[in-house]
Amino acid sequence: MSQIPTHWFLILSAVLFAIGVCGVLTRKNGITIFMCIELMVNAVNLTFVAYARQFHQMHGLIFVFFIMAIAAAEAAVGLAIFISLFHHRETIDVDEANLMRW
Amino acid sequence: MISFIVFFTFAAIAVIFALVVVLHRNAVVGALSLVACFFALAVMYVLLEAPFLAVLQIIIYAGAIMVLFLFVIMLLNLQHREEPATRPIQQFLGYAGSAFFGIALVYYLAKYAVLQAPSTPFLSDARRVGVTLFQAYVFPFEAVSILLLAAIVGALVLSGRSTAVSS
Repeated sequence: MSQIPTHWFLILSAVLFAIGVCGVLTRKNGITIFMCIELMVNAVNLTFVAYARQFHQMHGLIFVFFIMAIAAAEAAVGLAIFISLFHHRETIDVDEANLMRW
Repeated sequence: MISFIVFFTFAAIAVIFALVVVLHRNAVVGALSLVACFFALAVMYVLLEAPFLAVLQIIIYAGAIMVLFLFVIMLLNLQHREEPATRPIQQFLGYAGSAFFGIALVYYLAKYAVLQAPSTPFLSDARRVGVTLFQAYVFPFEAVSILLLAAIVGALVLSGRSTAVSS
């Protein structure tokens, strides 16, 4: 089986990360912004795995493992915050959540 | 040759479904597209000779985290609510900024980070991942378990109705 050059994976990862950045900057729905953050986290995971194969290091794979665990914790707490916000404000529009802004 | 076809097919699938997540107004469609994107990324992990992480990606991300997202979207029942339009200046700056960022990243990666695949295969099955995890990373592993416990407690406290403060 022929091997795919590592930088192709890095470029795919960069494209996915840029798409995630675009979503965070332009969307207003809080849950969609959260999904875009998950997309960026996955793009970084792909970079970790690509470099792990390139340099024959297990540490990159372990980092991906920990990032997955932390993403799960982040998703649980973040979605709980949105549920709480929805109970108080009847919306998950992030522009409406401005209690601590001004 | 086969692996190149698989790479381009699933790279295209990942990028297209990621774009659907960003551009579609319906959050449920976005969440399901993100599941498809994560499946394509699991195929990428298989191509990178990390089958254990590919399975973890499907079980944890596509299985657990995205189901949590879908549950919350259904629970909040946002179907009949129209997402307000983004301000045009924010929309323009967001698209232009992220496009510039992405193009610059791809340009410099293609110019300076050209790495051919290693000649010897890198075997990273579940056994080797587990041995590394429980030899070099025992303390972070335990710390992550405490972090997950804290996240469970935090999620319960935050989403519980009884603690709601009237605003």
